Order: sequence, then structure tokens, then C-alpha cells
Amino acid sequence: MELEIINHDIESMVFGDTTGLSGKELTINHDELKTHLLEDRRIQDIDIQIAVPGESCRIGVVFDIVEPRAKQTGSGSDFPGLLGPFAVAGQGSTHVLRGSAVTVIDPSAFPGITSKMLEMQGEPAAASPYGDLCHLVLSPKLLDNSRRDAVQNALRMLSVKASVYLANVSQGVESDDIDIYNLDQSDTDSRAGIPRIAYIAQIHGHQMTVEVDEPILYGSNTEGMMPMILNPNEILDGALVASYWVMRVETYFYQNHPLIKELLRRHQSKEITFAGVIVTVAASKETDRNRNCMLAANMAKSTLKADGVVLTKYGGGAPHVDMGETARLCEAMGMPTVVQVSDSSGDRKAESAMLFNYPEVDAVIYGGGGDTGWDVGPPERVIAGTPEVAKVLKNLTYIEGGALCGVTNQQGASKIRATVY
Amino acid sequence: MRVVHYLNQFFGGVGGEEFASTGISSQEGAIGPGRLLQKLLGEESEVVTTVICGDNYAAENLDEITEYVVNAVKAAKADLFVAGPCFEAGRYGVAAGAVCAAVSAQLNIPVVTGMAEENPGVDLFRQEIYIIDSGANVGAMSEVLGSMAVILNKLNNDEEMGSPEEEGYIPQGIVRDAILEENAATRILNMIIAKTKGEDYKSELTQTAFEPVPAPPAVKDLTNATIAVVTDGGLVPKGNPDNMPPIAAEIWGSYDIASLDDLEEGDYEVQHRGYDNRHVLNDPDRLVPVDILRELEKAGKIGKVYKEFLSTSGLANPIANSRRLGQEMAKKLKDAGVDAVILTST
Amino acid sequence: MVGSNRVVQGKGIVYPLGDAEISKEDEKELRRSIVQDALDALTTEVEDQQ
Repeated sequence: MELEIINHDIESMVFGDTTGLSGKELTINHDELKTHLLEDRRIQDIDIQIAVPGESCRIGVVFDIVEPRAKQTGSGSDFPGLLGPFAVAGQGSTHVLRGSAVTVIDPSAFPGITSKMLEMQGEPAAASPYGDLCHLVLSPKLLDNSRRDAVQNALRMLSVKASVYLANVSQGVESDDIDIYNLDQSDTDSRAGIPRIAYIAQIHGHQMTVEVDEPILYGSNTEGMMPMILNPNEILDGALVASYWVMRVETYFYQNHPLIKELLRRHQSKEITFAGVIVTVAASKETDRNRNCMLAANMAKSTLKADGVVLTKYGGGAPHVDMGETARLCEAMGMPTVVQVSDSSGDRKAESAMLFNYPEVDAVIYGGGGDTGWDVGPPERVIAGTPEVAKVLKNLTYIEGGALCGVTNQQGASKIRATVY
Repeated sequence: MRVVHYLNQFFGGVGGEEFASTGISSQEGAIGPGRLLQKLLGEESEVVTTVICGDNYAAENLDEITEYVVNAVKAAKADLFVAGPCFEAGRYGVAAGAVCAAVSAQLNIPVVTGMAEENPGVDLFRQEIYIIDSGANVGAMSEVLGSMAVILNKLNNDEEMGSPEEEGYIPQGIVRDAILEENAATRILNMIIAKTKGEDYKSELTQTAFEPVPAPPAVKDLTNATIAVVTDGGLVPKGNPDNMPPIAAEIWGSYDIASLDDLEEGDYEVQHRGYDNRHVLNDPDRLVPVDILRELEKAGKIGKVYKEFLSTSGLANPIANSRRLGQEMAKKLKDAGVDAVILTST
Repeated sequence: MVGSNRVVQGKGIVYPLGDAEISKEDEKELRRSIVQDALDALTTEVEDQQ
């Protein structure tokens, strides 16, 4: 399966008479976009703004960040099963407006310890990959706020619709900047002796009840899901979006999945053979957890024939334990593992961070962020869902690393490491 | 700098294991390793007092010798305090750790010791003081003293302490952020390639050894036993009378169930943000099984259900705090004559 | 598991001693059996973590 990514760099984003791409400037017809998005009758009104790097601007509370991408016409389906019709993602050609993002605000969310913000200026901006992007920020007002999951579904649909609308400006536009993603493993001779590495990726955690209309994998809400094998291209090309409730994961970093891209890069250079990706969920019931962990580990061994396995989790404590158990089983099957854990040591002590105690799961990448933060002042512009939230954001004097999108990240993007002293 | 040095009977020149019961005493000046230590600390430093104590005596009288040492340090008007290094000697390591921790806490002067990582003194005191990783080999004495001297000087000059690898101390388990050039994906790949190939790698987080808790003996007779329920799922009476926080609670509450045959929807709320609490709210027995326990009590299968259930919020609750909560809850229940506890967790 | 010597599996994170997806009678029976497992653990001598 081969995926061609056609990159179009975006360096500026402005409103104008016609939605289009001219060089590296993306022009957006505000009213046309608004009309298009208001086709979803659940949305009463929508505030559309642009925020660019270096601006004194704070944005929150973020629901999700999605990179504008569209399949070259005839080449596949946009966000199949969620927005477009079912088709296997990860093939054909996809246009990407690199350097831009669609950021959707959650009008019902209030800033708190797990809330997500963006800062476009200063040290916080420099610490997040999102500080370098031009953002189209959507702040909708829903007609009916009585059901939280219905609100969130509207936000999810908004994010992907806007992403495709923007990226469609580049249909047929050529680019020199092409990436080819192809997990070709047919060159078995030249790969003899090279370690086969599999990636077991949690894509949801069921400690919070899964909503009926919460599309995650090809539009499915992952209820009852058992581990399954995906081609990494599928994750990069719209098969997977973030759930409604999660910390440290954005759809943008599924589309640009740092760990998958690194695995593919080292596959190309023949440092490893990327054996494949197994996606799984951290189940709520004990029986389901035991079953999922067993199946995932076994798939890595028997089907993907992995020599080693890397694992990431999705969420907080319970998924962390799940990941530990899966890793333990992998080790028992003779596959060394590396797990990535987040900094959950509320008291800044390593003893509180581990949560599982298997001596064989001894290779840990420790994502930090717990004592990173910045003193800030009031920004010139705040984009928020309600005046109350805007006030809170404006008056912040300190932003914690964990509260800013992209700083602490569970998909491999984070550059902060927690070091044990 | 005026230094006081604590040594055991062996390094203090009294004798071997046969002298382990020697009591505690002080002498002027440096003894044994203390002589090299003061040289390493520099011209202006002098071990003014050496305190020597037998390992057995120390182990059996830890409070007494700790007080003795603190007083000796005060009397000497010391600027710095050193114990050991102890290498693998366990009683020595525990004593050295204890006296260092006490001097540091009470007198606020730089302290340091050294011992092998397996020494029981490590897990007890590593978070409070710097312990140089001496390894087991006593032949490394001068290197170890050298590292200890560096730590003392840094502490004394208020210099920033480097990482465990840089300075040679056993990780204290304190977590600090470092901003790197490479992202986590790169680090993950580097580590898995090394591990799969059987090469060396350094985990960014290592296991903390938890002291094993010996299993209490089994309940002999359930029909005469009082059973209590404790939960960390954050179940509290409606209105949250004790103001239980929903995360990392530093308090616990006890809630009356003496007259109840089961817990009813609407009478309780959940202060715990880490799980979807709607099912427990619909029927709190799903977290605190009063209904079944009462059934068993009435049928005579268990002696008594304790009159209250105890509750706290276990979400993201640091170990040190959880330990304290557990100890307090256990004491209350033990004093009340409870024989066994069912602890429920989400 | 760390620290506890007698550990009994609950049904699920959101209902350790219950199950919202079965009938009330079945759920009570399930709770009885989990509590019984707990009592059995309490009356069994243990050397190591179980």
C-alpha cells in the first residue's frame, strides 16, 4: 500500500474574496466557509478567526486540532467512515496544507487541569509545534447544549469538514515536495538480521464510557473493540481521529504521527524492519483487558513476527496499567519492549510514577512536563467559546506545560523528558 | 570547614564484627577514612570530631544514637556532616542514613553518605539525603570519598546538583523536566533498537523497590469477625460533608452504614474524576457492597459489618500520601476491633 | 500488583462489584460471588502475593 503525500507549504492565512491558494498564502472566503459549516443544522452560529505565529493570541478550550488534508480527487475518501464513504485510507494521493491547522474550540468546556490551550507568542509558543502554524480557529454555538456527546459530535464533524474544505484549494496543484509512505517488506533478503519492530498503539481508553456517536477509527467508536492490525499509512491518512475526552493527543499528530514516521524512516534506512501497527483500546472490564492484552501481544509475535515492540498509551492511569500488562506479555513471549509513560507523578517523585511493577518492563521513555510552565501576561486577543472562558484565559498569569497543546504529547512529539534525579 | 564524621566500629578502628555492640562515643580529630576525607575537602577543612558506634548498638538504639550524633554536631559547631561510606554493610547503612537525615533536618547543614545500591539504607533515606553509589568494593574508598566531597562542596556553595550519572549519587527519585533536541519518537526508537540487539540502554525511569508487606495471618473464623469496607473510589455522602477533593485527596472520611441494608442512589456522590461514575451513582453497592455484606451478617456467615465505610479519592494520589492515608485508616479500624478489610478500587 | 497480598479481581473499572449490563438479580449474584472470593482470600493463609 503506497501513500503519496503532496505537501503545500502555508506561510500565511488571510480572509479574502475567494478561497484559494496562491504561492504560500491561503485565502479563505469567510462567508462561504461559514455557510458550508452551518449546513450542520445543529450549529446555530460559528465564529471564524485566523491566528498566526507570533501574534499575541491565546486560544481555548481546544477540542481538537486537525491538519487540512484532502484526497486528490478520485484518489480515495476523506476521513473514510467519518466524513467520506468507506474506503481504505493510506493509498493514492493526499494534498496537505503543511504549516496550517484547523483548531476547533469546545464551547462547553471550562479551563481546568486537563484543558487544552494554544499560545501563539513567546516561550509557550516556542515550546509547542502548534506555535509555528497558521490556525483557522472555529468557535461554534450549538443550538442544543443539553447532550454533551451530541455537542462533541458536532465539533468532530466541524473539524474534518473544515479541514477538507481548506485542503481542497490544492486539488490538482503540483508540488515538488512529495513524501512517499510505503511499508514495503518484500525485500526480505536485504533485511535478513535486521530487527523487526512492531508498534502496539492504544487508540482509546474506556475508563470513560464510550459515546454512541463518537467516531474514532473509520468512524467506529471502538466499543467492544479487540486489537487489530492496521497499515501505518491508514493512521497517517485519516482513518483515525482523537476521541472526545483525552489529554495529550490531537488528530494532527495522528496525521503526522511522530512515532510512526520515525519507524517508517528507520525502516527505509534499514536500521529496522517496521513489522506493523496493532491498534488496541484500554478496556474497562477486567476480562476485556486481559483478553486485549493477550491478543495484542500474540499478534505482534505470531502475525507480525516482531523481534521487539514499542508501546504507547492513550489517557491516564488505567491505560498505563494496560500498557504495562501488554508489555509484560510481550516480554514473556521473548519480545523486548519499550513503553512510553507520561509524567503522572503528582508529587514529583518517581515512586509515584511507575504504576506497574514488572522487572522485565524496564525500558521506559519518560515523557515530562510536570514542572514546565511559563509566566504569562494578558494577550491582546483571546479566542474562546464564551465570555467567561475568555476572561479566565485573559487573566492567566501562569501556563503549565500540560495545559498547552503539543507540549506534552503521547504520540511521540514531545521534547520534554522527565528526568529522575 | 568544620566536619563531623560518623563511622562504625570497623572503620573507626575499634575492631571487627565482634565489636559490633560497642556503644557510641566521640573522639577529637579524624580517624581512618576521615583523614583522606578532610584532605579531599581541601585545606580549610578539618574533621573536628569523629563519632564511632558499633553496628549492632546503632541498629538496636537508633533513636538514641541519632540524638547523640545531632548533639555532637551541634557541640562541634560543625559546618558539614559525613557518615560512612558504608558499602554493603546494612546496619551501618541504615544508621548512617538515619543520622544524616536527622542532622540535615534538624541542623540544616550539608550532609552526605555513601553505600551500595542494595544497602537497605538506600530505600529508607534516598529521598531525604544524597547517597553516593559506592558499590560493594571497599577498595574504591578514595574515589567514593572524592565523590562525597564534591557533593558536600556543592551543597555548601549552593551550587546546582547535577544528575545522578554526573555526580555519582543514587537517584533520589525526584522528577524534573529536561527539554531536549530530540522528540520522544526518536528516543523510543533508539532504545528499542538497543534493547532488541542486546546492547546497553538506559531507561528514563527505573523501578522503585517497594518494601514487601508481609501478609497478615488469615482470619480464623469469619462468623465472629468484624469486616470493614474501605474504598478509594471517592464515594461520599451527598453534599460531600468532608469536602473530599476529586483528585489526590489528602483526607479520608468515615461514613455511617450501621442502620443500612444497602446504599441507595441519590444518597451518595463520587469525588473521583478518573472513571465514569454513573454506574456507581446508580447503585453505590457496586463500589461499596453493603447489601451483600449485610446479607452475610444477617445469615451469620460473618460476625459483623463495621458501622462505617472509609473512603478517599485514589486518583493520581502520590505514594507517600497514600501510604499515610492507609496507615491512618488502618489504625482507626484496628483500634475499633476490625478483623479484616475489603478494599475496593476502580 | 504492588503491596497487597490478597487481590481479587473486580468486574470492571466503572463497576468493580457490579455490572450495569446484566439484570439486577444477576448483578446481585455476581456481587455475592465477588464478595465471597474476597472472604475466601481473607481466610486463606498466604506467603506471597496472590
